[in-house]
Amino acid sequence: MKTMKTTIGRGSLRRSLFFCVGFITLTLVAVACTKEKSEEENTLNLVISSNVKGLDPIDVSDVYSSRVTSQIFEGLLSYHYLKRPLEIIPQLAASMPTVSADGLVHTFKLKKGVKFQDDPCFPEGKGREITSNDFVYSWRRLADPRNRSEGFWVFDGHIKGLNEWRTAVGEGKADYSTPIEGLQTPDSETLIIKLTHPYFQLHYVLAMVVTAVVPKEAVEKYDKEILNHPVGTGPFRLESWVRNNKIVLVKNPSWTGQTYPTEGEPDDRAQGLLEDAGKPLPFADKVVMTELVEDQPRWLNFLKGNFDYAGIPKDNFDQAISGGALSEELKQKGMRLHVAQYPDLTYVAFNMEDPVLGKNKTLRKALSMATNTQISIEKFYNNRAIPAHSPVPPGIDGYDKDFVNPYQKYDLVKAKELMKEAGFPEGKGLPEFTFETTNSATARQVAEYFKQEMAALGVQIRIGVNTWPEFTTKVKEKRAQIWGIAWNADYPDSQNFYQLLYGKNVSPGPNGSNYVNKEFDELYEKALRLPMGQERTAIYKKMRAIVVEEAPWIFGVHRLGYVPSFHWLKNFKPHPIINDDVKYYRVDTKEKAKLKAKL
Amino acid sequence: MIGGDRNSLWWDAYRRVVKNRLAVASFIVIMIYGLLALLASFELILPQVHLVDHARGYEPPSWEHPLGTDIFGRDVLSRAVYGIKTAMMVGLVATLISILFGVTLGAVAGYFGGKIDEMVVWLYTTIDSVPFILLVPALAFVMERGIKSLVIAMGVTSWVGLCRLIRGEFLKHRQKDYVLAAEALGASHLRRIFRHILPNVFYIILIQFSLGFVFAIKSEVILSYLGLGAEPGTPSWGLMIDDAKLELARGVWWGLAAATLFMFFLILSFNLFNDALRDALDPKLKNK
Amino acid sequence: MPILFGITLLTFTLFNVAGGDPAVQFAGKNASAVQIEQIRHELGLDRPLYQQYFFYLKQIVSLDFGRSWSSRQQISTLIVDGVGASLSVSVPPFFISVALCIVLAMFSAFFRGRLFDRSIMVGCLGLMSISYLVYIMVFQYLLGYKMGLFPISGWDASWVDRWPYLILPWICIVVVSLGANVLLYRAVFMEEIFQDYVRTAKAKGLNTRIIYLKHILKNAMIPIITVVVIQMPYLYTGSLLVENFFGIPGIGGLLVQALANADFPVIKAMVFIGSVLYMVFSLLSDLLYALVDPRVQLK
Repeated sequence: MKTMKTTIGRGSLRRSLFFCVGFITLTLVAVACTKEKSEEENTLNLVISSNVKGLDPIDVSDVYSSRVTSQIFEGLLSYHYLKRPLEIIPQLAASMPTVSADGLVHTFKLKKGVKFQDDPCFPEGKGREITSNDFVYSWRRLADPRNRSEGFWVFDGHIKGLNEWRTAVGEGKADYSTPIEGLQTPDSETLIIKLTHPYFQLHYVLAMVVTAVVPKEAVEKYDKEILNHPVGTGPFRLESWVRNNKIVLVKNPSWTGQTYPTEGEPDDRAQGLLEDAGKPLPFADKVVMTELVEDQPRWLNFLKGNFDYAGIPKDNFDQAISGGALSEELKQKGMRLHVAQYPDLTYVAFNMEDPVLGKNKTLRKALSMATNTQISIEKFYNNRAIPAHSPVPPGIDGYDKDFVNPYQKYDLVKAKELMKEAGFPEGKGLPEFTFETTNSATARQVAEYFKQEMAALGVQIRIGVNTWPEFTTKVKEKRAQIWGIAWNADYPDSQNFYQLLYGKNVSPGPNGSNYVNKEFDELYEKALRLPMGQERTAIYKKMRAIVVEEAPWIFGVHRLGYVPSFHWLKNFKPHPIINDDVKYYRVDTKEKAKLKAKL
Repeated sequence: MIGGDRNSLWWDAYRRVVKNRLAVASFIVIMIYGLLALLASFELILPQVHLVDHARGYEPPSWEHPLGTDIFGRDVLSRAVYGIKTAMMVGLVATLISILFGVTLGAVAGYFGGKIDEMVVWLYTTIDSVPFILLVPALAFVMERGIKSLVIAMGVTSWVGLCRLIRGEFLKHRQKDYVLAAEALGASHLRRIFRHILPNVFYIILIQFSLGFVFAIKSEVILSYLGLGAEPGTPSWGLMIDDAKLELARGVWWGLAAATLFMFFLILSFNLFNDALRDALDPKLKNK
Repeated sequence: MPILFGITLLTFTLFNVAGGDPAVQFAGKNASAVQIEQIRHELGLDRPLYQQYFFYLKQIVSLDFGRSWSSRQQISTLIVDGVGASLSVSVPPFFISVALCIVLAMFSAFFRGRLFDRSIMVGCLGLMSISYLVYIMVFQYLLGYKMGLFPISGWDASWVDRWPYLILPWICIVVVSLGANVLLYRAVFMEEIFQDYVRTAKAKGLNTRIIYLKHILKNAMIPIITVVVIQMPYLYTGSLLVENFFGIPGIGGLLVQALANADFPVIKAMVFIGSVLYMVFSLLSDLLYALVDPRVQLK
């Protein structure tokens, strides 16, 4: 291209260029000088790794919403903060309920003087005392089909008359005044629950936030908007919520009477977890919960001290942990490490209705022996997981640390022999299988690894990447062949894991494998009628033997949580089940100011 | 003669491009990439690309692995090279599909006008007004997941721009003397479209081709972020960059660097070449 | 109007016929077949498709999109809340970028063929050759964390306290849009420079500076403004990557969530609003064009 000769006129152009550069520099300088917000007194800064949907307890179905609602709402029961194995304690109940000899009638007395948080929905904005009727009302909401609560399964089929009422409401033949036989309130402090059959998990589900108490006034005033106007009895109440950004909770002044526990595990005293024993709760005046979905900003913000604790994203593990302890770099920053055993299980499920996979248990065993759990643990869990030999994780009744599942072992030679035995030597004659997975980066890598392992056995795997809804739909419509999944316990009871293989729970129920075995089902039903204890554990042992032999799953791992926190966060002990533990946390503001200055 | 005219246009363009050293260099780079992609398709180079060594995951760059290793201990450099194949495939197929749709519909609409034109305009306005980022995932939902459906989805959603241009040109050209003359000589519609008008607007297709190519490669990265990328295990820059979002904060920068660098030079070359091509072919800038 | 019809039909088919079964999704992990059936009924998914389509049309006409299936929030509230955030992330850098690019493009055209022009061109092409995702990750890591120039991520509901959090996202957006815009505007300037009126002005002995600033700039602004106006409706979705990485509660993040959760009502509402904006701004662009260029006739 030819250039045109110009002699004059550069001056003005140069000046405007200067102006531009000047403008940009100014902006940058201004930014560099923005004021640090003054360190607020006694505020907890927590981070939530997903977006919170709503704050109506009956709608809580994910840990993120539960993390917030559990600070605002309370149920009849809860768990002891420090004790392990986990122990159920009364929360809004004055004491543990009396239970009839046949286990069918549970009578609760309510704690006196518990009030709802102040809210404009009450006369003069003053929260009133709770009554036993409030519980019946709250649970009707849970059962009301129009509310389509995911949490209804906790009562489904267990309480006399509740399912009938649910159906009648759905058909427009009943309303909230229609009595329910199984939920009775002789007076405002007494609540009687009548069951259709012994339900030994009842006390656990009453500690879940879906069964928390909600005032009728709030539901009537806010109607569908109640999910943005939570009114509970808990230690904190909602101050503000910028959706998808942050939730600010403040201390509920009308919440009194609870104190920090005085007992715990033997090690807790040494860990400094009992220094506040007997002191009134909650310690924090304000809790800021930031919603941040991406790993990178979450972790970087934590390193800058903007959050009090954080889970470690898989790939930042090396930076955080060296040889099982906190790395020097993070120690220097003033952090310490907490290890929590989560009651969960990962597994690779086979669809037992698949014409090839479902009919050939030798083939399934071969695939199981070709998976190297040890490598998965190194790659994806950074050695912070233990191989799973049975459905039940550590910390749950009936877990047997000495039990060895022979097909959990990695043995490629044996696996190849089994392939021959199954009629597919070197994988000949087998169709290509599809392994379904979700679309996160980690899930993708896990799937890739499974494919590599199967290729060594001569089994061809195609990886199907799905969004979470597509994934669940495929499993629930029995369209998936092989898939990897994890199960987190709803409550610490091995029944919660064995139900995943119960014949009546097949898809769309939680038994995604569609595994049906008559003997297993009979044993399961027998165990249901028994309380936790040796007799039941003996039955579960028989069921375990069946599952191991039939191999409807490839057992994966039980995970451990590694959570670093800053020294200024006191009384922090990750709890495997509950989420209402924020009231126990205390910020040492002096220490925080000191440590943060160095970050 | 029309033909002679056309030839001189191409000859002229060729001379202009060749004179531009940067453009020649870019063309050579693109050819090298193409060659590498071809070699990779037949697995003729870097046989270690699929070699897994679990004991050596996330190794920093060394003589053995000039760009380090990934989580499974695979050589990042060879992954990046094999990524060319995926990128080229995505770019080529998506662009060809989009050209097929864009040119056919644009030509038909512009040439015939009337009801057909209205239909086509309606179709592309509708598609254009739905954000690309929504349309592609939606189409990918409908089809079986994977790189194939992704490419098809990108192809069938990105033809609008080209279609609009081609339609405009055909509207202009169909009234021109040479087309009317051909009609008088009894040339069929098809002949007039393909034999007479199309060669005159071919430069638009060429320019759009290289633009579309770049767009497709860049889209693959964003769609990988949304979980719509290639099948796990396939060497792909999109997947490598998506993995990097977990790795960067831990100090593993080589995966990101490798994918970014390889992508950078390919797209830069395409952009430079396209720029020279446009200068050479766009009649508006001619003779200046 | 026929286009609106097309859009509703397209979004309806894509998202109702395709995608997972939302009832299964919202029934939860412990749901039974009966519960799923009840949910399907509550969501109206057991009704015939044409009824569902008419329901969608009715929603559009009344501008009431109902509630999200996933979060159960009022969709109109979600969008209204998100738009402010999205716009405050996307609008300022958009105009900064336009202004900066016009200046750069004019310089580039002025010095065409020289080193300055060439380095600008190659620089722009270089900027365009790196993925958006890479810019965000690297800028956040380097400028936010390592150098501590900006907050790593964050947001504030008040306009005054918000802006420190916005600078880094703005920088990302400006850098990403710079390359393509400069090249586009430069081409526009190049076209103007060789117009007859420039030659005439020069022949009349007018100062080059005046020619550039008054005539060429003025004339080049016509195509530039039309392009700018056409790009504007896309601002409403903000930038999904920037929003997710910087924790900004905008429409982009909402969209990603909706896609991930098969939240059809939200997707349908957003597609619809996006399309309407697109049409309004296309019309506006045509009008503007006609206003400044009397040769163009409006149909």
